[in-house]
Amino acid sequence: MTKKTSALAAALLLTSAGTALAADPIRIGVVTPLSGTYAPIGQQVRWGLELAAKQVNDKGGIAGRPVELLFEDEEANPAVAVQKAEKLFQVAKVDFLTGTVNSGSTLAVGQVAERNDRLLATTVSFADSITTDKCSPNVFRVNARAGQQSAALAEWLNKEKPKSKVFFLGPDYEMGRSTVAAFKQAATDKGASDAGEVFAPLDSKDYTQYFGQLRASRPAVIYTSVAGNDTVRLLTQLEEYGLLRNLTVVGASGTVTSQNIGAIGKAAEGFVTGVGYSPEIGTPENKAFVDAFRAAYKTDPDLYGADSFGLIHFYKAAVEKAGTTATAALRDAMRGIQWQTPQGTKTMRGGDHQAVQEMYAVQVTDGKFRIVGTVPGEAAIGQDLCTKF
Amino acid sequence: MPEFLDYFQFVLAPQMLNGLSLGVAVILMALGLTIIFGLLDVINMAHGEFYAIGAFLALSVGALGFDFWVMLAVVPLMMVPIGWLTEQVLIQRVFHSRERHILTLLLTFGFGMVLEDVLKLVYGPNTQKPPTPIGGGTEILGIFLPNYRLFLIVFGAALILAVWLVVFRSRLGAMVRAAAWDKDMASSLGVPVRLVYSGTFAFGVALAGLSGVLLAPIYSVFPTMGRDFILMAFTVVIVGGMGSIQGAVVAGVLLTQVQAISSLYISPVWSDPLVFGIMVMVLMVRPQGLFGKLGNA
Repeated sequence: MTKKTSALAAALLLTSAGTALAADPIRIGVVTPLSGTYAPIGQQVRWGLELAAKQVNDKGGIAGRPVELLFEDEEANPAVAVQKAEKLFQVAKVDFLTGTVNSGSTLAVGQVAERNDRLLATTVSFADSITTDKCSPNVFRVNARAGQQSAALAEWLNKEKPKSKVFFLGPDYEMGRSTVAAFKQAATDKGASDAGEVFAPLDSKDYTQYFGQLRASRPAVIYTSVAGNDTVRLLTQLEEYGLLRNLTVVGASGTVTSQNIGAIGKAAEGFVTGVGYSPEIGTPENKAFVDAFRAAYKTDPDLYGADSFGLIHFYKAAVEKAGTTATAALRDAMRGIQWQTPQGTKTMRGGDHQAVQEMYAVQVTDGKFRIVGTVPGEAAIGQDLCTKF
Repeated sequence: MPEFLDYFQFVLAPQMLNGLSLGVAVILMALGLTIIFGLLDVINMAHGEFYAIGAFLALSVGALGFDFWVMLAVVPLMMVPIGWLTEQVLIQRVFHSRERHILTLLLTFGFGMVLEDVLKLVYGPNTQKPPTPIGGGTEILGIFLPNYRLFLIVFGAALILAVWLVVFRSRLGAMVRAAAWDKDMASSLGVPVRLVYSGTFAFGVALAGLSGVLLAPIYSVFPTMGRDFILMAFTVVIVGGMGSIQGAVVAGVLLTQVQAISSLYISPVWSDPLVFGIMVMVLMVRPQGLFGKLGNA
């Protein structure tokens, strides 16, 4: 009732002002890092959302209402993210929230959403906990989580090199140990055998001290989840010692990136990882998306841009199904919904609010990632481990 | 028995050789530090950044189309004026203060931070890597070692020997040692002490730059790379004796071997605390280090 009258009042106001806008906009708050180390990721998030919002608005908006995006810089700092999210909910009265990049921010902002009885979705955070043991009825994830990435990689490995001996090398901290444990589980479940594991300190200078152990265990495959400079050193030193000749190197999705692939050079050739998106995907939907993205921003979208683009369509589908932006009805509509993204159709699993999607194995060939395999969403999704709702 | 041979051939022996190539790298860094300390009584906290500058200059020289051997000769020469100016413009300002140790330590520490940011501004934050100048590998008794590491060990050893000869067997070295022992007496005997100071500092900086060129193909190049070896190099200098060349060599080989072999049996994360633990023990039992100071020996 009040909503209708206020919409009416707004419409009256707008017509009297002479504009053609008929409805109250839907406000989506975006709390994302626009400065600091993660700024390049925040930039992709922003571009993906803005492109989708523009296309949707050009076609009449969501349920006849235009989409409005409100950006706040969270500096990749959970404490700042919480303040900015609170501000967007309380002051700007946003209907929905997205944009958080690091998993700590997503978890913290999830609690703010619960307190304010609003919904949020992340398009970037990988940490499994967001939709497993720390799941929240108010938080959705439209991108693939770490578990899906390693499941996709294990699937590829099983198909290409069944029953291989795998050696595991991770950085010695929480993320490194959990990624190795997750992939080891996924790979040995499919018949691979464990040739040994080693955890090197972060920022190791020399990985050659582990090469003895590596050679003695005679593996066919090495899995690693090191990142940044560590990857440069590990892979170039492996090459220096001639160990890459009969070895397939696979790893986490953050191991070889556009930031370090140049420095790794030849030693990166053949590296395989599991991801949720690649600009290479050959579907007409993706081609249209990549072309529009390039035309607007003069660069290729990455998985963050693509998943943020997809988020607007997720929200649109849910609002149009529910016929409202009210939290409870919208949450019910989101559970089990299917929507179109550059990667194809995704499905939101109701039990843990995790998107189910096709996954890809990509391999470095001539310095660029090429798709070498696809894994159906069902094979990569894993069990629903959320027990809170 | 074959099991042990397998272990020795694949694990223990390569590990010791790897430790040795790392040891040579650390000694090259420690040499410059210890010479500067032995003569000027200055703890150069910016030494790691001079090492980084050497590596980046190698990239620039390489980008101009010159090969590795040109870099090896040119970069240390380019480092000399940098070191000379640093000593003249910065160190000399606080050199005669009563708080010399603290002031030079803070000064070089701050200067190192500035240099690191300058490198970031000029070359960008991303990692780069020059090509390995000597490819392939050699098998010695079934133990595989890349040719470049072999070269590094041999060249490094020759370089250390050359530095030792210059300091202990040349007229120039005698002047340096005399200035370190008693600068007033040396000065009155006609040793140009001011020149010796600047020259020695520049020499130490050139050595750091040379290590940068030598190690860039193995450890890659990025603005914060200066932090990589500096802790280990300081540890080597402290254990070997502040200002001692023999000390730096002995402690450098010893500590990197401890690190290399221990990391086979304990988690590699604990091999650093082990090495620093040795440093603490040496400081407690023999604070002057294994060998005496430059000029005193």
